[in-house]
Amino acid sequence: MSSTVLDRPAPAPRLIDHFESGLNSPICLTWELTYACNLSCIHCLSASGRRDPRELSTDECKAVIDELQRMQVFYVNIGGGEPTVRSDFWEIVDYATSHDIGVKFSTNGVKITSEIAEKLALNDYVDIQISMDGATAEVNDAIRGPGSYDLAIRALERLSAAGMTRLKLSVVCTRTNIGQLDQFKEIADRYGAQLRLTRLRPAGRGADSWHDLRPTQEQQRELYQWLVARGEEVLTGDSFFHLSALGESLPGLNLCGAGRVVCLIDPIGDVYACPFAIHEEFLAGNIRGEGGFGEVWRESELFTRLRAPQTGGACNSCPFFDTCRGGCMAAKFFTGLPLDGPDPECVRGFGDDALAASSGERPKPSGDHSHRTSPPRPRPVALKLEMQRPTAPMAPPVSACNVSPLAGMQLN
Amino acid sequence: MTDITPDSVLRLHNRVSVRPEPFGALLYHFGTRRLSFLKSPALLAVVDALQDDRTVADALGVAEVPDAMRPAMLRAITTLRDSEMLVEVAA
Amino acid sequence: MDAITTPAPADADATLVEANELVEDVSIDGMCGVY
Repeated sequence: MSSTVLDRPAPAPRLIDHFESGLNSPICLTWELTYACNLSCIHCLSASGRRDPRELSTDECKAVIDELQRMQVFYVNIGGGEPTVRSDFWEIVDYATSHDIGVKFSTNGVKITSEIAEKLALNDYVDIQISMDGATAEVNDAIRGPGSYDLAIRALERLSAAGMTRLKLSVVCTRTNIGQLDQFKEIADRYGAQLRLTRLRPAGRGADSWHDLRPTQEQQRELYQWLVARGEEVLTGDSFFHLSALGESLPGLNLCGAGRVVCLIDPIGDVYACPFAIHEEFLAGNIRGEGGFGEVWRESELFTRLRAPQTGGACNSCPFFDTCRGGCMAAKFFTGLPLDGPDPECVRGFGDDALAASSGERPKPSGDHSHRTSPPRPRPVALKLEMQRPTAPMAPPVSACNVSPLAGMQLN
Repeated sequence: MTDITPDSVLRLHNRVSVRPEPFGALLYHFGTRRLSFLKSPALLAVVDALQDDRTVADALGVAEVPDAMRPAMLRAITTLRDSEMLVEVAA
Repeated sequence: MDAITTPAPADADATLVEANELVEDVSIDGMCGVY
């Protein structure tokens, strides 16, 4: 008897369904080792600068590594602040790699001497990523501070000279650097690095500068086209899936991994859903609790909630929801938008409508570890607000207070 | 590359970490930095059974793979060999 | 020992899995947060 359509079993769950419902352990996780930093980048997602006195000790870090090894977490993405300013940084890296945990760490280059570069080149379990936000010193240093471009280039030179192949150049896409994409690729190629582009989120100090630094809609289209042309040659950490509604989807699973396949451990042991969501709302627990990291990962209320099937809410009826998935929850949260509605940078404009219709109230990032004295924290760039008389929102009103108190005003 | 046959002997690459999951397993290769998703607990059982230098045929037997699944299993083992998760052991 | 390369009968569709479906490569770059 031949099978008919009616006899066919239900399609097997897709890969993405398994990931969305969470895994026994993270695949990898971001671990911010310190809030201390030698720089004061104006968009810093962790508002770093000064060390938090409650930082995990070397022994506590090793205990975390032991636990991650038991859980078979494959690798950690170490960052901060500037992780290399911890005096035990290399000890921690060595401990991780000798306990079956790969290390990929992010740095502004400050401590990458030729000697260090040579040691790194020899440790197969370590990858390194250099941060740069401008292909020229002029553009880069306006965001990251004077001398930061030279620091990065020098690190790239030394790593390349040492034969380091597991090297990435990481760029946050902003209004001021979208025009430099080809130049970034050229710099990456010059040093044998892979280019990685990531999305600017309104997190940490990014909350202040987001409206002025974020790419325009036109630039988002330009970025999207550039990424499509480059295919898998350029990495994005899948952070641009909200652009997929512009046409064919970009390579990747179009999945937010927060609380499902990844999370953040911060310098004081707090566990958040993701590094762009450092706020009580996304705090799952602390590794210093009795059950350590494992219990937080497996049983925290927040992660259990994130692993339940998510409703797209107002986005459900959009034909692009399947690839866009409503965008980034951190971007929505820190711009004061509801999580079950459009991303603030929705390429169909629904995010702009939602922002215009919202009260303008935004949650403040939880912690501010910015430098107080020198170098001085850059003042938020003067914002230019253009408020128009609100038209009927395309999405249903999200609250009774959906009319801005500034309605009708025009500010320069 | 040679075809994988029931007589092939393979084992896990020594730089691969296997992590069982409810749906099967995740495999991460520390050398290639690639991640593979095994969608079937039966396939995980086959990969485990290959560890004792068994032939593919023996491993399929030990893992009690139904006949109907065997062609798909052979293709899966080939894919894992191609991505270097499994390596062939010289006879 | 049964030959294991014999094509499966047509009505075993319900248990047969499509080619390459038992293993899937996941791009390390493929999920936000995995990088």
